[in-house]
Amino acid sequence: MSWHLTHDQLHQYAAHTADDVTAMSAEAHLMHCARCRDLLPADEAWLDRSWANLRDIVDRPRRGPLERLLSVLGLRENTAKLLAATPQLYRAWLTATVLVLATALTVAHELPRGSLLFSFTAPVVPLLGVALAYGRWVDPAHSLTSVTPLAGYRLLFLRTSAVLVPALTLCTAAAALMPSTSTLWEAVFWLLPALAMVAGCLSLSRWMPLSLAGGLLGAGWLLTVGVLGIAEELDPLLLFSPTAQSGWAAALTLLAGAILLRMRTV
Amino acid sequence: MTMDTTATGVSVRGLVRSYGTRRALAGIDLDLGPGVTGLLGRNGAGKTTLLRCLATDLEATGGEVRVLGRDPEQAADRTEIRRRMGYLPQSPSFYPHFTVFGLLDYVAVLKELGGRRERHDEVRRAMRRVDLYDRRHSRVRRLSGGMRQRLGLASALLGDPELLLLDEPTIGLDPEQRIRFRDLVSELAARSTVVLSTHQIEDVAALCRRVLCLDAGRVVFDGTPDELVSRARGRVWEQGSRPAEGVTSWRLADGRYRVLVPEGTENPDSTAGVPVEPSLEDAYLLFTGAGRKTR
Repeated sequence: MSWHLTHDQLHQYAAHTADDVTAMSAEAHLMHCARCRDLLPADEAWLDRSWANLRDIVDRPRRGPLERLLSVLGLRENTAKLLAATPQLYRAWLTATVLVLATALTVAHELPRGSLLFSFTAPVVPLLGVALAYGRWVDPAHSLTSVTPLAGYRLLFLRTSAVLVPALTLCTAAAALMPSTSTLWEAVFWLLPALAMVAGCLSLSRWMPLSLAGGLLGAGWLLTVGVLGIAEELDPLLLFSPTAQSGWAAALTLLAGAILLRMRTV
Repeated sequence: MTMDTTATGVSVRGLVRSYGTRRALAGIDLDLGPGVTGLLGRNGAGKTTLLRCLATDLEATGGEVRVLGRDPEQAADRTEIRRRMGYLPQSPSFYPHFTVFGLLDYVAVLKELGGRRERHDEVRRAMRRVDLYDRRHSRVRRLSGGMRQRLGLASALLGDPELLLLDEPTIGLDPEQRIRFRDLVSELAARSTVVLSTHQIEDVAALCRRVLCLDAGRVVFDGTPDELVSRARGRVWEQGSRPAEGVTSWRLADGRYRVLVPEGTENPDSTAGVPVEPSLEDAYLLFTGAGRKTR
């Protein structure tokens, strides 16, 4: 390098008081001249922070498509990371849910009284998802994560919401596409039993593994449907009658209250 | 006995934990402070159950537990304990599709560690401590058993815990890694309480200044490794002839037999052999009940 910046030029460049031509010339020179760069006053702390940030951007783990999607939808970075890391069984459940609902839709359109299949499977779809979302038997990393500050009800509810949002969306969409659906009520008649059973499952998880609680309630539901179907003077659709819906609503209220109370006291 | 409720260690009185009708812990009393304490015992002696109770992973069926001065039965206390504790479970498993960095970052989020940059720096520090930094972008499914064990250890180290509970931490580690592990634990023990459950007697001899031997859910020995060895003096023999039935023995490379004689009994072949200086392993076998078994 045959020439170097003068003291005044360096001072003006650093203080942002140099004119545009001088600033551009000084910048081009500084790119190639270590001696002049060394003379330039620098904020060492700012430089260290900047380098550390740059290193972090280059080196940090790449986010998966689901985590990026959740961030785009407005979720906080940590929440998106926790939701995207749900066990693989969750993905299997999501795939199974789509397949079951697609089958129920096909049957409803092709067979007389075929919509009954949807009526009796829709309430257990969210329940099974919740049962597979949290716990030692379904989450390979549970032994590591169960003793972290976020474990317990906080992580359980986060994962439950990760199940309920897609489950309720998919079931509502499927109900809307049913041949017999003409009113809003016909699209959401399954919702209260589904939510009540999810609340029951969460309540029972105090005494037994979540997966076992979900399995017991799901089996109980299918057994009840079967018994009502076999009985001569009863109809399984009684489970969705206005009286039954009042019962589901009451059960949901009580169970949700009990869960909230337990969260506050334990 | 009064509880030591200081905020640095662990205090337990009459701890009972049952699985149905079986008592895994049958009334444990202990106080643990800074330094490394080794838990020794046969499979099923209660070591893992004790660690899980201290780690807030299991609720005690009876008795009182204080961890870092807090009561794990209270939700707020339990959360605070979890913030200040690291736990390596026995045979930890992971999400196989995660990278090393991604998995530890996930655990760091669950541990509520700082903002993103600070959290990533903490994860890098933990990876360097267990020598996994060069594998930070490898998928977990591509790691060897020893590397996975180090990954579990790194997750326990996140957040620089004041209490570190390690259940069989050296399984799958090669000799070089075990030496690194001992260095690391010794360094941590200078300012933290470390509880180490293991079958590796060499690790206990190298690391622990206190040893607890568990048998059938009870503490049968509590003292230093030297005290454990001294309790075994006079009970370890070597002899040329095959020992009588009813005592624990094994054949040595030179064809002689090493015989362990449990407390309260005499060596039936005492004229055929000579008492020898016991090793820590001999003492462990005697105090964990192995000496009561017929081989």
